Amino acid sequence: MLIGIDVGGTTTDAVLIDEGKVINTSKVPTDHDHLLECLMSALDEIVRDISPKKIERVVLSTTLITNLIAEGKADPVALIIEPGPGMNPEGYTLGSEVHIIRGAIDFRGREIQALDERQVQNAAAKISERGYRKVAVVSKFGQRNHTHEETMREIVQRTSPDLQVEMGHQASGRLNFPRRSATAMLKVAAQDKYREFADQITKAVSSRNIEAPIYILKADGGTLPLATSVEYPVETIFSGPAASTMGVLALTPPGQTSVVVDIGGTTTDLALILDGVPLMSSEGAKVNSYLTHIRAFAVKSVALGGDSRVRASGDEVTLGPERAGPAYCLGGPEPTPTDAMRLLNMIAIGERVLAEEAMANLGKDLGCSAGEAAQKVVDAAVEKLLSEINGMFLAWELEPAYRVWEILQKEKIRPQNVVGVGGGSLGLVPLVAERLSARGIIPENATVANAIGAAVARPTMTLTFRADTERGFYTVAEDGTTGEIRDRKFGQKEAESMAKKLIVELAGKMGIKEYASEAVVTHSEVFNMVRGWSTSGRILDVSMQIPAGLIPEWTGGGRV
Amino acid sequence: MTTLREENRGRARKMGLIFFPAFDWAITPTHPEREERLLYTKDQIFEEGLMDLPEVEEYKPRLAELKDIARVHFCIPSVESLVTEAHLIAAGSTLVLADAYMKKDITNAFALVRPPGHHSMRVAHGNRGFCNVNNEAIMVEYIRRKYGIRRVAIIDTDVHHGDGTQEIFYHDPDVLFISFHQDGRTLYPGSGFVDEQGGPKAIGRTINIPLPPETPDEGILYVLEELVLPILKDFRPQLVVNSAGQDNHYTDPLANMRFSAQGYAKLNEMLAPDIAVLEGGYAIETALPYVDCGIILAMAGLDYSNVREPDFVPGKFTMSRTMEANIVGTVEYLQGIWEARDELTETAVERAGPFFRRRKNIFYDTDGIQEKQTESVKMCPDKSCPGYMTIDTDAVRGYGMSDSGFGVFVPLFACKRCREEAREEYEAHKTDSRYNYVYFQDKNSDNFRLYSTRMHNERVY
Ligand SMILES: [Zn+2]
Ligand SMILES: [Zn+2]
Repeated sequence: MLIGIDVGGTTTDAVLIDEGKVINTSKVPTDHDHLLECLMSALDEIVRDISPKKIERVVLSTTLITNLIAEGKADPVALIIEPGPGMNPEGYTLGSEVHIIRGAIDFRGREIQALDERQVQNAAAKISERGYRKVAVVSKFGQRNHTHEETMREIVQRTSPDLQVEMGHQASGRLNFPRRSATAMLKVAAQDKYREFADQITKAVSSRNIEAPIYILKADGGTLPLATSVEYPVETIFSGPAASTMGVLALTPPGQTSVVVDIGGTTTDLALILDGVPLMSSEGAKVNSYLTHIRAFAVKSVALGGDSRVRASGDEVTLGPERAGPAYCLGGPEPTPTDAMRLLNMIAIGERVLAEEAMANLGKDLGCSAGEAAQKVVDAAVEKLLSEINGMFLAWELEPAYRVWEILQKEKIRPQNVVGVGGGSLGLVPLVAERLSARGIIPENATVANAIGAAVARPTMTLTFRADTERGFYTVAEDGTTGEIRDRKFGQKEAESMAKKLIVELAGKMGIKEYASEAVVTHSEVFNMVRGWSTSGRILDVSMQIPAGLIPEWTGGGRV
Repeated sequence: MTTLREENRGRARKMGLIFFPAFDWAITPTHPEREERLLYTKDQIFEEGLMDLPEVEEYKPRLAELKDIARVHFCIPSVESLVTEAHLIAAGSTLVLADAYMKKDITNAFALVRPPGHHSMRVAHGNRGFCNVNNEAIMVEYIRRKYGIRRVAIIDTDVHHGDGTQEIFYHDPDVLFISFHQDGRTLYPGSGFVDEQGGPKAIGRTINIPLPPETPDEGILYVLEELVLPILKDFRPQLVVNSAGQDNHYTDPLANMRFSAQGYAKLNEMLAPDIAVLEGGYAIETALPYVDCGIILAMAGLDYSNVREPDFVPGKFTMSRTMEANIVGTVEYLQGIWEARDELTETAVERAGPFFRRRKNIFYDTDGIQEKQTESVKMCPDKSCPGYMTIDTDAVRGYGMSDSGFGVFVPLFACKRCREEAREEYEAHKTDSRYNYVYFQDKNSDNFRLYSTRMHNERVY
């Protein structure tokens, strides 16, 4: 049996799955100050009559880190950077304790200016004097050559042994120095509290005699063993929308293109699944004001929900962005989209009489009947969702591309399905679908699709390999692994087989070794380096990944 | 910092950027114009996080249409046979940015794209100086057609003379073409001397500034400040384009100048082009990553003072007295030409008679083609009409095959009389067996026709 638990903003949802069927579900209110208790009470409700031995897998999503960072409760982190030539480093907005160090590494990992060790020493002393306990040390192009970051770490630890140090190349090896700096800072800021939480979960679950492995859901829709996730605490942010999208992936036929519509009280989250693969944000996630390297689905949050404020302006209605309260038909103070849908019999909650009253009041301002007013509200909501959905497809079509074939092959994609999930105003889904000439789907168990998504999501991973045969070394962006290449004839075939070997090692480190064989090469490119009209070496880039997907144990897909 | 052009002040600052390194396209695997060219530039600008800046908006390229090419070039044997998809994307990138700029979505733009184009001339038989079609010219004619503007200035800051762009606009008094470059006696393509000043009706609208080898920042910025900027102020262009080659750099393997990344950034800050388009630049590790970073920051109105090459120190290069005297002399001479442009135009038109004629030999280094042209421009009595033009072309490829053509060209702002006469010329030559191809390029009606005399068919673009 599989268990999925998703902590949402208002409720924590859990499902128990057996042989492709949801056999039990639960919903408890989310208490952000007592996440462990929430998770456990949702869990207890679904496993009450089940032998713990039958449970094979438990997957959780958590808002812990999201809230920790949003509320500024993560630990303060100082930053020591070695920016080298480029933008003026004074222009970065990376916190209030930033020390800029002389020294530089270039794009091929060559030292172009020695590290000023004295400066590092002084910075470390100051940082510890100001009461910081944590520091991130980051070099521009530090992922192509770790020596300066390693020296900085040694100096900091020698100068101030009480400081915990995180190196940029270990947080991410992708290009983008400011994002790498922010990611390293957030990682070290969140790590202790996350580890504490993970330990509590482990204890709480084992005290229930559940011996199944525990996984955590990441923002990219993948799962990671709880034990290794402490190395990637920030990847657990935004796992809520990821859970819903994975739920839709599980509940719709494979390989299709769908719009995921998760309508809540005041916001609607939109996501896309293109040919069966959830669309990732082309850059990393934005966490508060920080742009990071954290991989996440491309989720668009629209300020529109069942409880949104409805206003008349002339004979038009405007919706949101603020909340009006619960719907009038549920005892709230003023008309909402929920009232409009209730009056038009698109949903069945609340008192119809009250809904009519709310719409009649709105109708007075608009100069029309209650029914017409309700129709205007619904039309406005549908229009708004449509324009956001079309905007998402357009943004996808207009994503920059750097190769001729990428420009030539990208064609317009239109959705086959519009899939409504979550507890909200699902009545809008068929209307949006009709306007997109797509099929409107509200799957069975739509209200716990998020928990289903968590339960059946498989691990994800990426590997970004670069070899520089002229300099004789390779790097792996994800964890900063580097190594030598002695073979001067090292070519594309060798690069790909090396990448395949490295992804197995990386998967081992992440505790998901058994999934490594599912990784595919997504991109492989060779650049001949020509110096003075003869080839002096090659740059080889290979990318591999396990994209977001479902575990083979899930057999319930596609029943619509 | 005073980087905003007067009319742009008060508008939110956002530069548009297309980065199209064409990682899957090369002339040949070891040619300077190969996949690797912008690889390290990509590393540098991505590592800097420049695409994340609120002042930078990255756009996706698109393919230019064949008609956009036909608006500028007489391609022999056809547009399709001369361009690859990569060429259409490089040209199309400039059009995406042109639209965004003209719609005021952005304050200025940089097309950091390859393959380049400034050696491509009006008649195109193949690849010349790494170029097949002229990206800047295609963009300028697209903008003039679509948005109805007339006066454009193109400043060619590549180390090589922008001979293609010069040739395309040579007789157009509304397009000011200024090129500074390493002296043509010491570098490809061997042209761009001070006496190439524009056709009789457009004297002074072509300005060539040959510079001595090893000219450093100081010399180039002097030319900009003393000559280029004052001329631009007089000319009052509606659009300023930087044909932005990066091979003036002190490490470029194909040339001998001593310009730095700081110099390039400063140049773009001072020139404040509306749209810059990458041309040459082949120091792919030692120059391009830093130069491009500097240009992007300067165009985005950001501090570029921390951009420097690993081995650069301020004051690394200085000018000798002789070099300075040489440059000052050139600047003074050209200032005189600019001042006297109206009188010079009058005399030149008088001297030319009813038609201005010149013969040209053009060599296509990359494709080994030798072309002979006779160009003829009507000295239209209507002062505001540049006059229509014809070109008789004969190109011999290495293996002795010959392609001949006759092109008739009607400028955008041609008078009615010229338009009619040009049409008659085209019709008359369709039966002229001396030519394989006859071309009619009417920018005024945006109508482009290629007639094959052997196949007796007409292709309309
Ligand atoms: Zn050049
Ligand atoms: Zn005329």
